Amino acid sequence: MEAENNKLGYTDIHEDVVRSIVVTGPKYYATLATAGGLALVCFFFPWFYQLYYGIGAAGMNHPGVWGTYLASFIFWIGLSHSGTLLSCVLHLTNSSWRKAMYRSAEAMTLFSLVVAATYVFVHVGRPWFAHWTFPYPNQWELWPNFRSPLLFDVMAIATYLTGSTIFIYMGSIPDFAAVRDRTVGWRNTMYSLLSLGWRGTDTEWHRLHWAYTFLAVLIIPLAVSVHSIVSWDFAMSIVPGLHQTIFAPYFVVGAIYSGTAGIVTVMFVLRKYMGFEQYITKLHFDNLGKLLLVLSLLWTYINAIELFTGWYSGTSDEYEQLSFKLFGFYAPLYWEMILFCAVAPLLMISKRFRTSFVPMLILSIAINIGMYTERFLIVATSLPRQYLPDAWGFYAPSLVELSIMVGSFAVFTTLFLIFVKIFPSVSMYEVKETMETPKLKPAIPQAGSPA
Amino acid sequence: MSLFSRFMDGWRKYRKPGYYDEFDYHWTMTVDLDSCTGCEACMTACQAENNIPLVGEEELAKGREIQWIRIERYWEGEYPNAKLNFMPMMCQHCDAAPCETVCPVSATYHNQDGLNTQIYNRCIGTRSCAVYCPYEVRYFNYYNHHWDSPLDQQLNPDVSVRGKGVMEKCTFCIQRIRDAKDLAKDDDRRRVRDGEVQPACVQSCPTKALTFGDRKDTESQVYQSMNNPRAYKVLDELNTDSSVVYLKKVDA
Amino acid sequence: MTTCVVGLFHDPQSALAAAGELKNAGFETPELMSPVPIEGVEEVLGKKKSIIKNFTFFGGLIGGISGFTLASVTAILYPHPVGGRPIITIPPYLIITYELTILFGILFTVLGFFISSRLPAIRNRMYVPEAAVDKFAVAVTCENSEHRSRADAIFNGAGAEQIRDMGEED
Repeated sequence: MEAENNKLGYTDIHEDVVRSIVVTGPKYYATLATAGGLALVCFFFPWFYQLYYGIGAAGMNHPGVWGTYLASFIFWIGLSHSGTLLSCVLHLTNSSWRKAMYRSAEAMTLFSLVVAATYVFVHVGRPWFAHWTFPYPNQWELWPNFRSPLLFDVMAIATYLTGSTIFIYMGSIPDFAAVRDRTVGWRNTMYSLLSLGWRGTDTEWHRLHWAYTFLAVLIIPLAVSVHSIVSWDFAMSIVPGLHQTIFAPYFVVGAIYSGTAGIVTVMFVLRKYMGFEQYITKLHFDNLGKLLLVLSLLWTYINAIELFTGWYSGTSDEYEQLSFKLFGFYAPLYWEMILFCAVAPLLMISKRFRTSFVPMLILSIAINIGMYTERFLIVATSLPRQYLPDAWGFYAPSLVELSIMVGSFAVFTTLFLIFVKIFPSVSMYEVKETMETPKLKPAIPQAGSPA
Repeated sequence: MSLFSRFMDGWRKYRKPGYYDEFDYHWTMTVDLDSCTGCEACMTACQAENNIPLVGEEELAKGREIQWIRIERYWEGEYPNAKLNFMPMMCQHCDAAPCETVCPVSATYHNQDGLNTQIYNRCIGTRSCAVYCPYEVRYFNYYNHHWDSPLDQQLNPDVSVRGKGVMEKCTFCIQRIRDAKDLAKDDDRRRVRDGEVQPACVQSCPTKALTFGDRKDTESQVYQSMNNPRAYKVLDELNTDSSVVYLKKVDA
Repeated sequence: MTTCVVGLFHDPQSALAAAGELKNAGFETPELMSPVPIEGVEEVLGKKKSIIKNFTFFGGLIGGISGFTLASVTAILYPHPVGGRPIITIPPYLIITYELTILFGILFTVLGFFISSRLPAIRNRMYVPEAAVDKFAVAVTCENSEHRSRADAIFNGAGAEQIRDMGEED
């Protein structure tokens, strides 16, 4: 697992992780301030402007009533899929290469979901009434419409958010206990509360193992269902090009694909800037690369099938949709998406590529750009070309939308930066499990033992 | 009634597709494409009757018009033999409406008169109903609108003015239907007769291309037009069960 | 007077051996504290029963029933006919049933974890800080000094780095 000449011990990982939490330098604060400032300026201010003046600040029109807000929403939910889902699947298969990276991956899930949830409020026309989508008793005896695909969305994302939070928290309890001993002041209080008095007894480990395993078993079908349900926002309409049964697998595969690419990006940043070079190694990138390759092939297949079924259907509506997508105004975006998501990942067939850090980083960012384009195209090329030709239109995003899109990445980065200073971002006890046990210390008489 | 039969009765009622055993009225509109000249008088009347905002030049250029009824224009052939076909398109009030199921807060539902109603107060503006509508007859208020004086004196007090973030669409002038039903009830509890209620578009059409009535009334004009060999429904293959019947244009 | 004696070991195997010997010597089941879960604990100290699975199962069951009930009953309270569909439709309501099954399963699992592991700890419990870093600790209660010396002998025999007195057990 680790390089033979390194001989990392338990104390090394312990010290490294604790240091990553406790020691903050000016570079960190500068990054946090930049990210927070960008988030405020690019996400919140345009959003407040839009809240005041109306959705008209965005580029949506008739019939392009859905725009980048929904595309971003789906992108962020997709990004959230890989972390927890991958962590659960790899836990159940007892894989060892998951150990160093799953904590940050799960954090990525959590914060993507938070950003996606914020996007809901940006997207709807009257977000101050968004609480009506939750089932709560009220004086009108009005409840939400449980037959609605959008409501399945609300329920699924609420469940996934709760599940992910609980999952990442449960996995971190032993690490909180470990960090608690090394901190003082407000940090000590916080970790004492968070670790719930964990002592590391065999009973506690046993219970944690079983609870964690059950949570993993429950979360895997949940994660698959969440993105299927999100895809049904589109697939349950009768818009040509959206009304396809392939949408649920398409979105799930796309989500895991873009999420895994996100994990690669996060892992690169973590190992470079948090001092985790010894724990996140070429092996992790190699395995992630193999996973990405498989997912890319799956994604290409599903896209090809979509093209084939659209062409084979022979109906004018589907055909018109396809030709608008492939050869219409947004054709360059479509071919860029194919390049980044179907062609470029083939580079990962070579092991040399997979184990080099910077090329993998560039590829993962390219994949995510391609996947964002895919979501954008789904919205922007299907709605303006529906059944009645007189009602065809054109949709292009406005400045406010683009700014909010950039701002959402800044919000995510801010949340993640706060995370690395509060949570142990590499799971200490799991990495220790992969190491050899500490070497025997020379025999020195200790106080309290019989000499 | 025993508990069991009450349960079974409720169960049957709640499991029946469409819920209603029968509608009170089943409002239908007929559009005779042979008579339509594309003059857009119906659009103007609708705008006047229903307080539809004038979005302004800039917004119109961005494609944010609000036209509860619009005239669709299709060219056939090339100059000098070009032919123009007009198709007035308004909310089809489908019995199996795709837009109704998707609203997460039940802001749109099918009422006892067979109308697809929009409840402005409940709408939170997800705009998914506009996506799901294949006829694209649902319009969204992107901004708060204002009426410059003296247009604000022309507003109809029977119709609410919609704020920003709310979906709206043709209601078959439900305020006129309600008034007609009230008058009929006062007048000896009878039913609304054919021709007593006309939405603004029907009333203003110079060529009488639009007719409106209750298709449960077998004597009504709309019922006769449904049996016309020229009758068809737009996008019927989508099984939306629309309530607007179009009469095909006959080329002389 | 009952005291708690803790022996610190540098690797899990010796800790496990010491615990096994203590159990065979008739002490109360010793507690093992470690930074990582130790394999082979159940063979030495006896099988552990976990009630968490019951919590998960009942959580899922309750969630499923409440999901369908929530959707159906709230639909009946104020019937909104939509799209030509019935008021109580099975396929959409199955989705919310599924989601709530999983949600309640998760929540009840967490509850089961808290109950069965007796966390959060309200009162101070005996704790060895080194056990969170790289040492493996075996804790055993001794009634009197004779037990104490026997325990010491077992610890030293198994290769303890340090033996610590933890004082009165609460």
